[in-house]
Amino acid sequence: MSPLQGYGEPDDWARSQIALRVLVLVGPVVAVLAAGPAGHAPPWWLVGVVAALAGASAWVPDSPFGVAPFLVVLGWWAAALGDASSAWVLVAAAGLVVAHVAGAVASYGPATMPVDVATVRLWAGRGLLVLLTAPVAWAVTRLLGDQPEQPGVWVLGVAAACLATVVATAALGTREEER
Amino acid sequence: MSPVRPAPGGPAAWRPTTALGRALVVGALGVVGALLAGEPAVVVLAAPFVTLAALGVVHRPTHDPVLDSRLDHLTLREGVGTTSRLSLSDAEDAEYLVRVTGQPPYVVMRPSGGRVGRLLVDGGVPEVEISPRRWGRRMLGEEKVALYTPWAGYRFGPVGIGGQWTRVLPTTAPYDSRAEAPQPLGLVGAHRSRRTGNGTELAGIRPFQPGDRLRRVNWRVSLRTGDLHVVTTRAEEDTGVLLVLDALADHGASDGVDGAASSLDLGVRAAAAIAEHHVRRGDRVALRVVGRGHEQVGYGAGPRHLRRIQDRLATVRIGAAAEPDSGVLQLGVTGGAVVVVLSPMLAEPVATVAATLTRRGVAVLVVDTLPPDPRPDVPEDADATLAALAWRMRMVERSVVLDRLAALGCPVVAWRGPGTIDDVLRRLARRARLPRVVGR
Repeated sequence: MSPLQGYGEPDDWARSQIALRVLVLVGPVVAVLAAGPAGHAPPWWLVGVVAALAGASAWVPDSPFGVAPFLVVLGWWAAALGDASSAWVLVAAAGLVVAHVAGAVASYGPATMPVDVATVRLWAGRGLLVLLTAPVAWAVTRLLGDQPEQPGVWVLGVAAACLATVVATAALGTREEER
Repeated sequence: MSPVRPAPGGPAAWRPTTALGRALVVGALGVVGALLAGEPAVVVLAAPFVTLAALGVVHRPTHDPVLDSRLDHLTLREGVGTTSRLSLSDAEDAEYLVRVTGQPPYVVMRPSGGRVGRLLVDGGVPEVEISPRRWGRRMLGEEKVALYTPWAGYRFGPVGIGGQWTRVLPTTAPYDSRAEAPQPLGLVGAHRSRRTGNGTELAGIRPFQPGDRLRRVNWRVSLRTGDLHVVTTRAEEDTGVLLVLDALADHGASDGVDGAASSLDLGVRAAAAIAEHHVRRGDRVALRVVGRGHEQVGYGAGPRHLRRIQDRLATVRIGAAAEPDSGVLQLGVTGGAVVVVLSPMLAEPVATVAATLTRRGVAVLVVDTLPPDPRPDVPEDADATLAALAWRMRMVERSVVLDRLAALGCPVVAWRGPGTIDDVLRRLARRARLPRVVGR
């Protein structure tokens, strides 16, 4: 007796979910490959590692390990390039933001749940808005790149790290703990 | 259904999403690493994530929502749908809602699969339409619900919301019959009785007797014969119909109301159709289910009684029944009743009781509910060849049983909707008027 398997039941992934997960996969790969035109092409094994990590993240977008490909990309750009003179860093930033936004939308529900157009449109606008900070930061770093090092920059760095820690604690702490 | 309220430590609480955690980690590590290591490129990469994390944290929720889900209807017919409505209160912090509805067997939903996510714009909560495709008791509307704050910073749930038991009545196939009952024996009804009485069907003309009504006088015959003669008519009475449903096993595939029908599907739907037809004609209808549940409804008439029969049919359970009298079925057949046995005729007790009642002079009619191409439900580890051989032997035995029943005078017809039992009922009615010797 068949319990109506496949009777209007979407056992397959929704097309919108597939598209989002492809973006989650492609974004970090594009970001690490963008270092090549900037003069520091990544080795093939690094691209493979990023692709594998991004693939795992695309498969389970709600996984906490989804941050791994982002950190590998950040690490390569920090280790290989150093300065922000190349505009290709903006391509890398776009790749990471697209992957993050797509992952956030994909993690709303199971892979079989389609994402409606209004949500995609909303998050596309948000992604573009957030992405505007990258060229601003790029312009600022280029302007300040020729300036001599300020004596209080390390103090400022430590203060920023402390502030980020406080914000993260406030954000990630559960409300039961407050009670 | 009681509303779901947040429980401390349970899933019904706002928690940071992995997206917020990712933005915080990438943003914080990027900024801190860039400052400590003096790598401005990383600041460019991390700046959007700092913004994303900040926007997620800014929209931190302050209220715990209360969820409640209800179905519009708790009694449905096969193929008819209802709507599962979710009500939210204190959900001002939420921007996005996800509903993932459980998929019980023989149930279809819209949106497909019962999975829907929508932005909560103007308080509009997405609805899920649910339609059971097969009769029975079904748990509908069981779902998990999750809420997200703007910028996907926090998630509430997923919270499991229990569904509601719904009674899915068998569909009433279009069925009508113009055949009269073989042995009407009741009060007032639509069937011609063997005895004379008030009615419209001419029974004969006889000499006038004291007490006869004057309007019954046939003046033409009276003038010709010189004596008063009156017209006699046959009484119109109701009849009792006993529906015996074989639920000892279910043979064949069932694909719901608009797909292939198993033997029990055919039996339940045919019983519902016959019961509805006779109740509307004013007859008394009873139901006896031969199965694990021993479902039984006594004789009765009227719409409420019909509803009781349909409710019982919706709760039929498949399985062998332990009959009290060493396996002999006791149906409690009353005089003048028509017994309609709905069975695939693969069980010996059902065939035996049909034969016994026929020998006793009861009007018995067997509706064969075996699908055209039944396939036995064979375990995977069983020998397929052996199983096929056993099934063929069973089919041969079944054909022998059907032949013997026919030889006894018990008609067997396959269910084909309207008019299925008309012809055999007419023949039974004609035969009932003839004198016969019956066993007691």
